[in-house]
Amino acid sequence: METLEAAPPVVPPAAAPAPPARRRVALTPYALLAPAAVVLALVIGYPLVRLVLISFQDYGLRALFTGRTRWIGLANYTAVLHGDEIAPMLVRTALLCVAMAAGTLVIGMGAALAMRELGRRMRTFVTFCLIAVWAVPNVAATMLWTWLFQPTYGVVNWLLTHVSGGFGQYDWTAHTPSALLLVWLLVVWQSVPFVALTLYAGLSQIPADYYEAAAIDGAGYLTRFRMVTVPFLRPILLLVTVLSVIWDFNVFNQIRLLTNGGPNEGTTTLVVWSFTRAFAGQSYGQGAAIAVLATALLVALTGYYVRRLVRAGEGL
Amino acid sequence: MHRRIPAALAAAATLVVAGCGGGDGGAKSPPATDIAGPGTGAGKTLTVWYMNGDLSDAAVAAIDRQFTQETGATVHVQIQQWDDINTKITTALAQNDPPDVIEIGNTDVALFAATGGLSDISGPAKTMAQGQSWLPGLVGPATVGGRLYAAPLFAGERAVVYNKKIWSDAGVTAPPATLAEFTADLDKIKAAHPAPDFSAFYMPGQYWFGGVQFVWDAGGQLATRTGDRWTGALESPQAQQGLRAWKQFQNTYSTVASRNLFNLSPDYNAVFAQGKTSAILNTSVNAVLKIKPSLKGHLGTFPFPGARAGTNQPVFLGGSDLAIAAKSPHQALALAYLKTATSTAAQTGAIAGIDGWTPISAQLIDQTSGSRSDLLKAFSAAAKRSVATPASPGWATIESDKSLQAFFGDISTGKSAIPDAARSFDQHLTQALNAAQ
Amino acid sequence: MTRRVRPGRVALNAGTLVFCAIWLFPVYWMVNTAFKPAGDIVAPTPRFLPFPLTLANFADAVHKPHFASYALNSIIVTGVVVTLSIVVAFLAATALTRFRFFGRRGFLVGILVIQMIPGPALLIPLFLSLKSLDMLDTLLGLMVTYSAFVLPLTIWVLRGFLHGIPVELEEAAMVDGADRLTVIRRILLPLVMPGIIAASVFSFIVAWNDYIYAYVMMKDQSRYTLPVWLASFSTNIGVDYGGLIAGSTLFALPIVVFFMLIQRRLVAGMTAGAVKG
Repeated sequence: METLEAAPPVVPPAAAPAPPARRRVALTPYALLAPAAVVLALVIGYPLVRLVLISFQDYGLRALFTGRTRWIGLANYTAVLHGDEIAPMLVRTALLCVAMAAGTLVIGMGAALAMRELGRRMRTFVTFCLIAVWAVPNVAATMLWTWLFQPTYGVVNWLLTHVSGGFGQYDWTAHTPSALLLVWLLVVWQSVPFVALTLYAGLSQIPADYYEAAAIDGAGYLTRFRMVTVPFLRPILLLVTVLSVIWDFNVFNQIRLLTNGGPNEGTTTLVVWSFTRAFAGQSYGQGAAIAVLATALLVALTGYYVRRLVRAGEGL
Repeated sequence: MHRRIPAALAAAATLVVAGCGGGDGGAKSPPATDIAGPGTGAGKTLTVWYMNGDLSDAAVAAIDRQFTQETGATVHVQIQQWDDINTKITTALAQNDPPDVIEIGNTDVALFAATGGLSDISGPAKTMAQGQSWLPGLVGPATVGGRLYAAPLFAGERAVVYNKKIWSDAGVTAPPATLAEFTADLDKIKAAHPAPDFSAFYMPGQYWFGGVQFVWDAGGQLATRTGDRWTGALESPQAQQGLRAWKQFQNTYSTVASRNLFNLSPDYNAVFAQGKTSAILNTSVNAVLKIKPSLKGHLGTFPFPGARAGTNQPVFLGGSDLAIAAKSPHQALALAYLKTATSTAAQTGAIAGIDGWTPISAQLIDQTSGSRSDLLKAFSAAAKRSVATPASPGWATIESDKSLQAFFGDISTGKSAIPDAARSFDQHLTQALNAAQ
Repeated sequence: MTRRVRPGRVALNAGTLVFCAIWLFPVYWMVNTAFKPAGDIVAPTPRFLPFPLTLANFADAVHKPHFASYALNSIIVTGVVVTLSIVVAFLAATALTRFRFFGRRGFLVGILVIQMIPGPALLIPLFLSLKSLDMLDTLLGLMVTYSAFVLPLTIWVLRGFLHGIPVELEEAAMVDGADRLTVIRRILLPLVMPGIIAASVFSFIVAWNDYIYAYVMMKDQSRYTLPVWLASFSTNIGVDYGGLIAGSTLFALPIVVFFMLIQRRLVAGMTAGAVKG
């Protein structure tokens, strides 16, 4: 097992380099970072501050048209938190997010591992499938989903009728469990390509000789997976996990177009709610307050993993 | 790490607050009072936004030609898409150089009218109307606090479109005159087509445009107004009766699968073109003919009969208004454009003549209905008894959160008992229609 | 690696085919529908092959007004966003993996938190900000906006890949007399290429697909992008499903082509790993 022990130091503690010239260290990293920082500060940082400010204001259409706003302290937050919608919404948002992220990661990881094992032609075909799915525009994807699962006319209902009968008229969006399943299927279908391709890209970085060495040592597939793949892939895997959780927490268009949060708010998540308040209810202040709360919640939920992610591979 | 982020945010905040000082101050534009006279617009260009699919290019060009002749100004037309249109108009009106004239769907006008985005045109509107009474369904939502914020552009309303062949095969040869005749006809058609995926009348359960007709026909209303306060009115005995009639009709003549569907998904025109139904309630026959051109000559139309003999069901009046952005620098010219678009020449020539839409006043409807084809006459007849949605900015909330669709859907599926559904929806109506903007 | 025919391999291939069939089905249904005549699009008995076949939907789609100019705008915006975000992110990722400095972790966490803000909530504040910056109604404003949206992910992905490359490699090259640029071009770039590809496809799709920002930020209709063209199939009186689905097919095509052209590079890292051993 000596060879396996050599695997983790692939990213050796020394990877954080001793800079070649001490004097330039002070400025070089900041100079390299500057373009990204400027763009982000301009387009996200500045609006983000405005978002927080708006959440303390009575900000509706009139404010937008006239530029005159009124500070109302925490009124937006209390209005949002005192509704009886908030508790079930939080539970629903969290559960749906975990279910979607887990589904995406398991299937995506499976696809990435399979791609590594497959022959070149099969691999190209899988790549093609993934990228074709990824390329379908959002509006078309949701429309396809509505069509596939339509009562009377949907292909899925037609197939299910032929398999088990009596499904032809089933309306998926009319019942909370099947509406949630519909959203889950769509989001996982759309998210797997990014996860699979990124993980595969990460897998392809693992030097083949580590596997060969492990194979010579008689390690089985699972051992190799555990001892070589996982440690090597950890930074990318963690990153993809955190990103999936973040994106699935914020899933919006799919729900709005597919179920519009229904039936009876059965598929309304925090973000859908924020949008409804801001744009349908014309209260940008309350919408902003929900967004701030949602972000804070997400930061709290992912804090542990984010910390691990920042440390991953740094050996610090 | 934890300490650094707030520090960075605070630093950014000071920057932003410093940046916020300038700009954004809303310069109040003078109220629009004077209509630009002949020739005063020479050398100027007016930007006008139209909605995709409403007026044809030819109709818009005809209006623009007339406007250029009258004022000397040229028109720059931009076509906008429906998806997220309210957000688009909202952000456009918030800019310092907005478009001058904007076409806005009649039920959405109230949203912008009451919030300072549009010019008050109450004064010059009297000159434009030239003694005609504009349809309440078009100007009602544009009237807030007694002031008018938009002029009507065109109207569209719903009538029954039916497949003559399916009807005559079932032994029905003439369109019905009363509701009793109508249901008797549908019963015959239903008996002739027992398949579970066939609807004698395809009325998707969430199709609220159909649902409100039953409420209004029974004498009910969506909401009533006392002073400045709106109250949801679906719990009233009349509205309850209308909702029961709706459920009865929907459940009897439309498929079980349609009970929780909206009319565009699946497209009810396609359902009709497929021969899976013998009748639908629609604003025109064009969409059906585009899918299946061979149906030309097999289509008939009539207004949906009302419960009281000799009446039609009151219809939801769709259509559009033209409004002037409050921040537009061309107020007088923009008023002149509204005057042109509402003129008898433009209404009979472009709106009714070229596009076949219903013109904007009862007088003009009478004037044009004689020249309309038989297929279109039913729409003119339906327009005579039209009702507007509540003229509150909050109405946009009801339409965009799709709660009205869900309300009728829940009644059609039987998920909620009618009194329960009405009670909770009344609460939502009251809350949304009175929400401060 | 030697390859033998064994049951595991057959099962793997079979499982892969099942996965591909499920994932590809909706795409197939989109393409299939795009070729159907209007009357066949909604049919109670599904038609699995588009016969009788028609190109009318595609003709409708490309004959919509502004198709060409919107396509050009989309290509310009997407091209700039992909290039700009990769270059900027590569610089940032280099700083984050090759140097230790004050604020490094704060930056990393910060850009991750940015990802957590719900997208729709940012629309109005972002609109107001671009208004203050006088960048509304310009393609530049759109490019900067999309770049900012994709930068956090791009930086994180490239950082992950740069971490996998030992510094000794670069140092050895420097000792051999290579300058910094050569090191980046000859050693770092090939090694992070898989990451660059994954990130650039992501950026491509974000910039190519966005509707709401393009619609709201641009005022003159000549500056819209292709998603606005896709939206033009829906009107208040009905949706042209045939045109929309054909338009979506055409719309997805460049992404597939773009990726299939560069996907071979995804495996470049494999050989890179061997260098190190």
